[in-house]
Amino acid sequence: MFKAVIIGGSAGSFQVITRILHSLPPTFPLPVLLCLHRLKHVRSGFVEALSIKSSIPVIEPNDKEQIRPGKAYLAPANYHMYIELGNKIALSTEDPVNHSRPSIDLSFTTAAQVYREKLIGIILSGANRDGAYGLKKVKDLGGLTIVQDPEECQVRTMTEAALKLTPVDFVYNTNEIIKFLQKIKP
Amino acid sequence: MQVSDQDLIYFINTLKNVSKYDFSEYSDKSLKRRLQKILEDYNLDLTSLITNMRLDKAFVEKVVKEITVNTTELFRDPPVWHLLRSRILPRFKNNKTINIWHAGCSTGQEVYSMMILLNEMEMLDKAKLFATDLNVDVLDAAKQGIYKYRFNLSYLDNFDKVIKQNPLNFEEYIDVPYEKYFDIDKVKDTITMKKFLTEKPIFRKHDLVTDGNIFFAKFDLILCRNVIIYFNYSLQNKVFELFHSNLYPKGLLLLGMHETILGPWANKFERLGQAYVKK
Repeated sequence: MFKAVIIGGSAGSFQVITRILHSLPPTFPLPVLLCLHRLKHVRSGFVEALSIKSSIPVIEPNDKEQIRPGKAYLAPANYHMYIELGNKIALSTEDPVNHSRPSIDLSFTTAAQVYREKLIGIILSGANRDGAYGLKKVKDLGGLTIVQDPEECQVRTMTEAALKLTPVDFVYNTNEIIKFLQKIKP
Repeated sequence: MQVSDQDLIYFINTLKNVSKYDFSEYSDKSLKRRLQKILEDYNLDLTSLITNMRLDKAFVEKVVKEITVNTTELFRDPPVWHLLRSRILPRFKNNKTINIWHAGCSTGQEVYSMMILLNEMEMLDKAKLFATDLNVDVLDAAKQGIYKYRFNLSYLDNFDKVIKQNPLNFEEYIDVPYEKYFDIDKVKDTITMKKFLTEKPIFRKHDLVTDGNIFFAKFDLILCRNVIIYFNYSLQNKVFELFHSNLYPKGLLLLGMHETILGPWANKFERLGQAYVKK
């Protein structure tokens, strides 16, 4: 039984994420944690854009907010998003890590420490190496790891970095990721 | 090496013994991460760090400075400044004085942003600005009012959005030259605030955990943005009590974009967009 899905992505991941959120059943039984880089000047409007087609609510959480199943939590622009024991979000304005804030590595690492083998970690298209270390942590702590097929990625740096660092469980294209998530039952 | 719960308690207790800093009610996850980072940066194990802290007062101050987070920028989160401009500051238009406290001001960008906005609204003369932080190094930087230019091009973007755009009609553009408030030197890579701004605020060292209100004043507006995310629930409530009791009736508290009042103090304020108004 899984307790959460965490997805990291950067350049080229927006459409993939939109399709995934659109295809989830409205009764999706897990929380979906999203850590996506965005362009510096596109700070607002992102959550709205993701919400339009999503079948579950997408929110930018507040600090110390309780994580609930069936909702997507998007790391707010310019904050790191951590997952804490007690199933809570914690935000931080600490320095960017590898030029990124939010840092996918930090979100993934803290989620892995909280959910351990009950976490599904997914890395999508992106133009830097953020997320590779975080996905390794998910794997090391017993979680299930998926990487978007680099052949399908608009920018393959991020997925290739992740694959280089970790023997992941599945390399899937978007359709396969969707099919996998749709199979998750409460 | 991973910092354990016991390590953290050992560190906090040592700090309490060798200084007046009490970090026992900081959010332990973020404190752990910061401590981890310090151990890595100094290449020390916990025992050596603690020994150094017992031997060297200056080292303790250094550690405390590195534990705290100092991120800030000019007009950070422009929507918040639009709210200040259109709905918060106009409430004080007819006041004789406006007292503003920037709690956790870091290197001062928020204080300068406020003064620039107040000046554009012709309210700077009657404003008194109090700015505090735990870290004296960042206060020194705040007093100087000199920032890097190349790293901070977003400052100018934010300035344009907040100061040059009419908040009621984003199509309307008012040309306010940067030189009215700061000088840009691309060779030296600096943004330097004008003297009439740097000499206005009162900057003081202050610890929200222990120091209460150090000014003989109450406040119309308190800004405390992205500070309480590092505090636990119990300390957050103490800080809300401090702010509430030192605000004038109808005074406003402005927290960070993603900070909210949870718990008992929520009932003592009304919401005005992102801000909290004392009932």
